[in-house]
Amino acid sequence: MANDYHDTKPISFMHREAPLKPDLILVLSYIVITAFGLLMIYSATAPGLEDRGLDPTSELKEQAIFVVIGFIVFGVVSWMDLTEIRGFTTPIYFVSVMLLVLVFLVGESGRDDVAVRWIDIGFLRFQPSEMAKVAVILTLASLLAAVDPPLRWITIAKSVLVVALPAGLIFLQPDLGTMLVFAFVLIAMLFVGGATMRQLAFLAVATIIATVGVFQLNLIKDYQVNRLTAFVDPGAHELTLSYNQIQSEIAIGSGGMFGKGLFEGTQTNLQFVPVQSSDFIFTAVGEQFGFVGSAVVIALFGVILWRLLMIAQRARNRFGYLVTMGVAAMLAFHVFVNIGMTIRIMPVTGLPLPFMSSGGTFFVVMSAALGLAHSSWIRRPPVPGEVRHRELTSRVG
Amino acid sequence: MSAARRGNRARIWKPGDLRLLVVGIVFVLVWGGIGFRLFDLQGNQAVALATVGFDQRISEETIAAPRGTIYDRGGVELALTIDGWNVVVDPMMLDDTVMAATVLAPFADTSFEELVTDLTEGQAKESRYAEIAMRIDTAHKEAIESAVAEYNAGVDKKDRLTGVFYREQPLRVYPAGSVAAQVIGLTAYDMNDGIEGLELTFNSELEGDPGRLIVERDPSRRIIPQGQVIVEPAIAGSDIVTTIDREIQFAAEQGLRKAMQKTGSLSGAVVVLDPDTGAILAMANAPDFDLNDRSSASPEVLRNRAVSDMYEPGSTLKVLTIAAALEEGLVSAHTMIDTPHSIEIGDFTYSDDGYNPPQMSVRDVVAKSSNIGTIHIEQMLGNDRHYDYLTKFGLGRQVGLDVEGERHGTLPPTSQWTATSGSSIAIGYAVHTTALQMAALYATIANDGIWTEPYLVDEIIQPDGTRITTVPRAHRVLSPETASTVRSMLGRVIEEGTGKRAALTDYTAGGKTGTSFKFDVERGVYSKDTYASFIGMAPLNDPRIVVAIVLDSPHGELPDGVSLSHGGASAAPVFAEVAQNALHQLGVAPDRD
Repeated sequence: MANDYHDTKPISFMHREAPLKPDLILVLSYIVITAFGLLMIYSATAPGLEDRGLDPTSELKEQAIFVVIGFIVFGVVSWMDLTEIRGFTTPIYFVSVMLLVLVFLVGESGRDDVAVRWIDIGFLRFQPSEMAKVAVILTLASLLAAVDPPLRWITIAKSVLVVALPAGLIFLQPDLGTMLVFAFVLIAMLFVGGATMRQLAFLAVATIIATVGVFQLNLIKDYQVNRLTAFVDPGAHELTLSYNQIQSEIAIGSGGMFGKGLFEGTQTNLQFVPVQSSDFIFTAVGEQFGFVGSAVVIALFGVILWRLLMIAQRARNRFGYLVTMGVAAMLAFHVFVNIGMTIRIMPVTGLPLPFMSSGGTFFVVMSAALGLAHSSWIRRPPVPGEVRHRELTSRVG
Repeated sequence: MSAARRGNRARIWKPGDLRLLVVGIVFVLVWGGIGFRLFDLQGNQAVALATVGFDQRISEETIAAPRGTIYDRGGVELALTIDGWNVVVDPMMLDDTVMAATVLAPFADTSFEELVTDLTEGQAKESRYAEIAMRIDTAHKEAIESAVAEYNAGVDKKDRLTGVFYREQPLRVYPAGSVAAQVIGLTAYDMNDGIEGLELTFNSELEGDPGRLIVERDPSRRIIPQGQVIVEPAIAGSDIVTTIDREIQFAAEQGLRKAMQKTGSLSGAVVVLDPDTGAILAMANAPDFDLNDRSSASPEVLRNRAVSDMYEPGSTLKVLTIAAALEEGLVSAHTMIDTPHSIEIGDFTYSDDGYNPPQMSVRDVVAKSSNIGTIHIEQMLGNDRHYDYLTKFGLGRQVGLDVEGERHGTLPPTSQWTATSGSSIAIGYAVHTTALQMAALYATIANDGIWTEPYLVDEIIQPDGTRITTVPRAHRVLSPETASTVRSMLGRVIEEGTGKRAALTDYTAGGKTGTSFKFDVERGVYSKDTYASFIGMAPLNDPRIVVAIVLDSPHGELPDGVSLSHGGASAAPVFAEVAQNALHQLGVAPDRD
């Protein structure tokens, strides 16, 4: 029995008494960013594809299919009730962990040929590590929603274990960036979930010790170390590692205030910038639309985060609140690390930009995550016959 | 967890309280940081970064200027530049080096095994460049292209052979092969930098001015269509029309080659001059090589010996003393000169070969090539006048041909002359000349006494059609009468003197044999080896050509026992053959039957 501080019954759209209350600003921001992302993918990939004698729209079409799937998933998840979804948390978690194990058995490496991250099931290839992100958020939220703040040390320990299992498997792939997502989401959710300052300080120290330990024990691959040192001292790796970042910086900077115009990006369109449709998609924005275009994209992500904070604040229950904040932490971390990488305030970690980078699994998972938060908003109080949690908690206090 | 326990805690967690605010503030700060950095990049650093990007794209390339063609006097191409290619591969773009070598080896400069090694090692070293076939013509290149295309048509897309690049490499070709090889010379391996002969001397005219192409390129080195482009077109090189007549040159080389075989000479040179203009119709050298086969080119065969090898001219120089004495009115053709067997001058004894009468006419001194007679005439002339004529005839200085390696010979000023200098020089020792200088001397006699500077390049045709024509320097040395008298003396050399073997079947001719012992520099004495020479002209009344032949160290004997070390035996027959062919080529009517 979930030891929630108030019980909420699932609300079905079929049988709800309250009117539908979708967050139009959130949905609109999501759609605009996605559409803009498709345009950027096309502008970044078309010249290269054309040069190779391929259909210049082929990468755009491939991504468009996943965008359609992602939109449907967003809609379906929004329509489902978080309380119902919470019931499937445990199976979702274990299926994700099993898929991560499966990667080691039948996995394939992507185009960087370094890490094995993909599972190919014939008609589609997907990355279990992306699915694990949502599974961990749900599991942590469920775990933390079941207890009242301030958290006890046992809850902290359980939370760390819940995250450590998939994160460890992902670390072995190896995928440092995704593992950092889990660490950040864990700390963020514990923070908003009611961990004490002492607990948070302990986690921070533990994280530092673990990081140093990982480096000391040479558990990190050379290329990961190089990426980090290249960030600190780009001159030393001019033509190799930080080449991506230097090219990215040149592309974004040369865009100036208003950009060079669509399809006029000499650096990105001409492929001076590598992986410009996935990890470095933001360079296409910066070069072609300048500071104004970049600022609009940043602002759109800011709007989504603002909406997520509002959704969390008005969540119908603690589970919805924690899920929404987990999703917000995950999105914010991706956006910051990705854009920070392209403008060289963060090292290269290979984290894509939500809703814009090409990548099927990633888009669908991000849409599902946003859908979880949106679901919480749609069923926000007041729900007829239900006491608002604020009043409830006040009364308890 | 009971309500009571919750109640014991002082603070109850409320969503949306302080921590949510903290998260919101963190978001705002982070987003502000991103915005600040973006503004820094796209506002403050925009121009600098755009410049870095532009510099990456910009590429300045040289547009090769087509090198000029070298023609013979009749417009036959002796050296020209055609389209050619270097075929190279990027080993890093090859999936399977053995497969690539199998396709390319039949066309490659190296064997299959070497090619596999090259490509495999290239891959190991992450090299982006391996040579397949260098400096090949278009047909060869197209053969490679079709072989690659044929292979690629038969395999999956992913197995296709890529990374084969065809780079333009103009080729310098010499249609006449070895003909006039030393005169034309060679270019360096880039095929556009003259390193020998006319290719070197006239390199600045031939090479033209390369153009510049400044374009923006993408990372695959393709030109960006909308990019900035600056083109400064190349200015083609000038064409050069030489005075060489390919047929006469060929005849001279044939004659020289035969003599080389017959006499086993170390080397030889033949010069054919048009005495009226100074134009060099042929300049042949042995040993020679094929211009299209660089492997056969060595310093030995590259020498243009007619202008770069000096020798003591021997008896061929006697004509100068005789002509000077005639011009000065000291003697006539029939003046009798004392010709004892030997005379002593200073501490040196001069003597004649064979047995001459005690007195000989001047024309017999020439016909029989008497050393003593010539020395006596030189004594009449005196050192100062002798030296005057030597310089007027162009000895001791370059003829101004501008051919690399041309020597001016040696002619010491009279202040340095010893007691024997005048006598020795009179019979062709103590001075060094080139074959071309001697040919010019005889051309003066052939051209009624006017010395004309020999020249090799008739016209330089600039790309705009402007022609720069050579006007050779000329000056009178002898009166036409003196020249005519000397010519008839030279005619007697062939009719009844030492040069009988130089007689032409169809034309009258005159000339002079020369045989000088080689000075052995190492031992400091004259050796038994000789420079055998013959310089002559034909037809005798109005000579159209002067031919000079010099052979270095001919050996062997003719069937009648005459040693081939003598110019009359080895060089004179070359004159007969070359002069006859040249006159036919020039369409000169026979004047003898």
